[in-house]
Amino acid sequence: MQLQIQQVVPIPLKPNLLNRQSDIWLKGITFLPGTRVKIKAASGTGKTTFIHFLYHLRNDYEGNIFWGDTDLQNFTPALLAQHRQQKISIVFQDLRLFPNLTAWENIELKRVMQQPLYPESTIKEMAEQLGITKILYQRAGICSYGEQQRIAIIRALMQPFEWLLMDEPFSHLDQENTRKAAALITEECNKRNAGFILTDLDDDNYFTYHQNLVL
Amino acid sequence: MQAWNNILKKIIKTASGRLRLILAIIGLSVALLLILSAVQLQANYNDLLHSKSNQDSIANFLVVNKQLTNANYGNTTLSTTAIDDLKKQPFVDAVGILTPSRFKASIESFSSQFPFYTDISFESVPAAFIDVDSTQWQWQPGNDIVPMIAPNLFLDFYNFQFSLSQNLPQLTQEIVKMIIFKVNIQTPNGVVSLKGKVVGFSDRITSLLVPESFMQWANNNYGTLNNAQPSRVVIRTKDPGNPALVQYLKDHQLTTDADKTRFSKYRQIVNVVVQISGVTGGILLLFALLIFSLFIQLTIASCKEEIQLLVTLGAAPKQLRKFLMRRFFPPNVLIIIGTLIIVAIIQYLVALRLQKLYMFINPTLSIYTFATALLFLLILWLVNYTTIQRYIQKENL
Repeated sequence: MQLQIQQVVPIPLKPNLLNRQSDIWLKGITFLPGTRVKIKAASGTGKTTFIHFLYHLRNDYEGNIFWGDTDLQNFTPALLAQHRQQKISIVFQDLRLFPNLTAWENIELKRVMQQPLYPESTIKEMAEQLGITKILYQRAGICSYGEQQRIAIIRALMQPFEWLLMDEPFSHLDQENTRKAAALITEECNKRNAGFILTDLDDDNYFTYHQNLVL
Repeated sequence: MQAWNNILKKIIKTASGRLRLILAIIGLSVALLLILSAVQLQANYNDLLHSKSNQDSIANFLVVNKQLTNANYGNTTLSTTAIDDLKKQPFVDAVGILTPSRFKASIESFSSQFPFYTDISFESVPAAFIDVDSTQWQWQPGNDIVPMIAPNLFLDFYNFQFSLSQNLPQLTQEIVKMIIFKVNIQTPNGVVSLKGKVVGFSDRITSLLVPESFMQWANNNYGTLNNAQPSRVVIRTKDPGNPALVQYLKDHQLTTDADKTRFSKYRQIVNVVVQISGVTGGILLLFALLIFSLFIQLTIASCKEEIQLLVTLGAAPKQLRKFLMRRFFPPNVLIIIGTLIIVAIIQYLVALRLQKLYMFINPTLSIYTFATALLFLLILWLVNYTTIQRYIQKENL
């Protein structure tokens, strides 16, 4: 499934963006399946907005976004749910965990929302890989932000996907943990032949990117 | 599926307050209890009015005639239009015309040991209006003996008044039935004598009854008076206490046994009370619906963020609806079953209590109560479904 972006611009930011150079806003771009994309963006340039457009959390934009052949605006609630269960996965900047559920339950929720891709044991394996085994049965709300970030990453990897959207996924991780997380993500994307779009404030070399764009 | 439901249960449970749930359940239970009781009360009331065991068979038959006043003196016959109009009234099941004899007659005893003689007149009425079940109640021209039905009133009058003053023996019903007496009919050509016999006693109609076939035959052959219009009719009604019936008789200057219709006044009062309870039930019904729809809205509103996050993470509307229906609907079913059980127990106890007062109501719940409960289940399901559907749709872009 390819991703096509045609002349997209967020309506609230339109006056500011008209005079700015951007690789994405008001451009026509096509991301082929399996492409690994890095989007660098300064604060306030609409990084999270862009991710939310792609995930259809917001639709206050002009232009068109096509997932495969379907315009995102034409997705019905049922189709959108299926899309989010099978085709795209996401690590939100604000993580969006259920604070009253344990780390394990937060991840399990996404595992069993659709026909499970992995057995339960995979959760433990990944948690061990990212060093959060100890807090697996702790309420997510009382975990540190870094721990929560790793919970959110594992949660995103529990489902089938063709594209993984990540909004500053390593902002609260040290270099060592970032390296481990990036390795896990690469491994999982390879397994699925999936592409990803990662946004961040600065340049980085967590992954081997196919495309480096500036928002 | 099980794992998914368990996690969802935890999300929704932690979000919605336990106290609120308990309060809503209590509120709905009380409202349902009151409404179902009101329906059951109405059913019991109808039971008391119309069931066979509470009715007296003679009370259902009323002999109706015009009120005799100075204005209609000598003209108390009922016209065909008046009888037809009476037949059309909803509270009248059937009208039977009492045919009077149009000849002079007397009866006397054959026995010199027990002599009696009296002038008499007969009436006849269609067999359907007679409460004496006797194989002897038939007559054809040529038959030797004319069967008769006498009012109990006559026998009582004789036994407890007349016989005492005349120093005559008292007579039981059985003895009277054994006596065969002479029936004399005055004709233009002299007296025709027949034999007569009492075959039964009745409380329904206070005149000496003969079979219709005999009356027709005798009137045709010996009738000297030409007036064929009846002046009395007997009506069958389900409910002699019906205020509409009493009002009708009053409006048409008709009169009947006042004793049988005296309850109409009380009935009017009870009607008003029941109507008030009906209105109260209706208001309660609205409140109950309000309470429950508020409960669902509050509960869903209280876990709105969680539902929103579930949708964001990719939970399908159908998945959520299914889960939420499973979560919210079963308590409703339990509440309805619970209140039905409580009303059933109350009904049973009330029936026992009333039985001691010789009032008989069904000790089990009426079909209407069950129907109302079922209707409520449907309404609650609809309220659940639409509220959930609306909220889920709101969470989708």
